Amino acid sequence: MTTIRLVDAAAVTGKTKEIFDAVLLRERRVFGAESVSNIWRCMGHAPALLEANWNRSRALMQRGRFSPLQRELIATAVSVANACTY
Amino acid sequence: MRLGVDEVGVTELMGVTEHARAMATAAAGLLLDAPDTGRPLIAPLDASAPAPEARAILDEITAWSREALGSSEPPLLWRILAHNPHYLEATWHKETAVMAAGALDVHDKRRVALGVAMAVRGRYMIEYSAAILRRAGDDDRDLLEVLGVVDHYTTLNTLSEGLQIDSDIKPAT
Repeated sequence: MTTIRLVDAAAVTGKTKEIFDAVLLRERRVFGAESVSNIWRCMGHAPALLEANWNRSRALMQRGRFSPLQRELIATAVSVANACTY
Repeated sequence: MRLGVDEVGVTELMGVTEHARAMATAAAGLLLDAPDTGRPLIAPLDASAPAPEARAILDEITAWSREALGSSEPPLLWRILAHNPHYLEATWHKETAVMAAGALDVHDKRRVALGVAMAVRGRYMIEYSAAILRRAGDDDRDLLEVLGVVDHYTTLNTLSEGLQIDSDIKPAT
């Protein structure tokens, strides 16, 4: 069980809301999400961290030479190697 | 799965992942990750004079090495495993089966193997996979792109494990 409360995506404002909207747009396109995923909601408690990681996500997962599939293959393998169940 | 990979592709991906992780463990166990500090745990066999049982496999690896690495000598790891021909044969056959083209292509699989080696900090297998990728045409920017994904997912994995975040992402059906 998650050890902290997750930020309510419907209650955020300002920069956090802007990022959550962008995250949801992407997640809807990539895996059909209907709400912001928990990993990003947890970061909502620390907006500077949220923004830094979202900027890195855009730089590393949405831009470059590799196809989305090629990046996701590596991402999945790394998550398994790191023993991450999320 | 939504990106077009079916169960066969996912299983192949897990095969590459576990194989790359196991190879990194083997290399580390043989002290190949610390070449500056001295010799590996076990001295490699002379590839030109292997035991008869290991000869055919080492010849096969030598031919592969010429093509994939531009080297007429098999990598150190394989020459060490050659002390036990059964170990060598089973591992080489697994390598060729797991890394061959299937639902996923050979180059993508090698990039995955590099990503896993980076994630588990396996120096020898990082160098091994990077050398194969460079020979196949990848440049510094491509290798950095692999590292970027490894780096970013290590961030997300750490957060989700550290906070024990429940997964809310369901596989597509």
